[in-house]
Amino acid sequence: MEIPAHATEVTCFHSWIREDGVACTKVKAGSEVTVELARENSNAVNSLLQTKKRPLLVDARGIKSMTRDARNQFSTKGRETQTLAFGILIGSQVSKVIGNFFMGINKPAVPTRLFDKEEEAIVWLKQFLRE
Amino acid sequence: MVKAISEGVREETLNNAYSEERANNILEVVMAYARMEFHHKTKVTEPGDVFDAIGAGVNMLGEELENSTVSLKEKEQLLKEVHHRVKNNLQIISSLLNLQSENIVDEKFLSLIRESKNRISSMALIHEMLYASKDLSRVKIKDYIVKLSQSVYQSFYTVDFKILFQYEIDEELHFEIDRMIPIGLILNEIISNSLKYAFPKKEGVIRISLHKKENEFELQAGDNGIGFGDDFDYKNSKSLGMQLIHMLSEQLAGKISVSNKKGISYGLIFA
Repeated sequence: MEIPAHATEVTCFHSWIREDGVACTKVKAGSEVTVELARENSNAVNSLLQTKKRPLLVDARGIKSMTRDARNQFSTKGRETQTLAFGILIGSQVSKVIGNFFMGINKPAVPTRLFDKEEEAIVWLKQFLRE
Repeated sequence: MVKAISEGVREETLNNAYSEERANNILEVVMAYARMEFHHKTKVTEPGDVFDAIGAGVNMLGEELENSTVSLKEKEQLLKEVHHRVKNNLQIISSLLNLQSENIVDEKFLSLIRESKNRISSMALIHEMLYASKDLSRVKIKDYIVKLSQSVYQSFYTVDFKILFQYEIDEELHFEIDRMIPIGLILNEIISNSLKYAFPKKEGVIRISLHKKENEFELQAGDNGIGFGDDFDYKNSKSLGMQLIHMLSEQLAGKISVSNKKGISYGLIFA
């Protein structure tokens, strides 16, 4: 997953909008995501999505850990969000466990699925652009 | 060839030592969580192998467990607070009744105040005991009955009173508040009636027993006093005490019976 030059960078993430309209956020390798870092990223993504709600591809393959409060922040429960759906890319063993835990325990408020192939995630997310 | 085998063995030994160390580290953290020590975390290293994945899962599980435990403790604290406040409020009502009766000399009125105070106290005592109990929901019924009967006795006590209480109550019986309140109020009425009417010579015995028999409980409470007069119809009595006994027995879905031989004895069977 190539990070374009115009991507917004925060401590643990790069975020941008693809040409097809799907928003992306990629976790930096070895990131230990706390609630502060999760909020920082939520703000960055929301500022990208100011004018239009979009589906979001989350490349979590480089993640090392994510605290409970950070998982709650990303679940979008009880807060306004510009995100229509999450497609979470997992690859490493750690990201698989964190992704599945997030899905099972924190149950995001918007449609969410795990993928190990970027292309499949994009196809699934694009359906939300049409809604 | 020999060198290759020896390097292979060395690598396997190192792998085994690594696996053992990582597995032990994860096990130690799991054991710490079992002891409710949630500040422990397993190591999650950069390469992200299967141990790191399991470790990441264990760490997240620990956070969730810690959160649930904290919520549970907060709820317990809240429940404790509720029992404490209910008990205090009931005691305030009792004190108000005391104040109300301070300048009253009418014996009948004072007796009514005392009866009301005892009814309130029988309920306040349950909340006091629940507040002090371990699980905040159940109380050992024997302890309650002993304290209740002594408290009622105190309210009637005069220096010439010589009443002996005999208890036969299963030690292991613990009841929730839904059962405790009607049982407490019923016993309060029975004991009060005995202390008021059964012993003109101020001497006697009050017996209380409670046993579990299969799926039912059998409560017996009574005295060896003078009994009801021949003309007393306890089933249709208009006294508040008797009405309460019948009403509360129904609340327990119980069957009440009264024996008027060698004193009065009430029997209550409830599930």
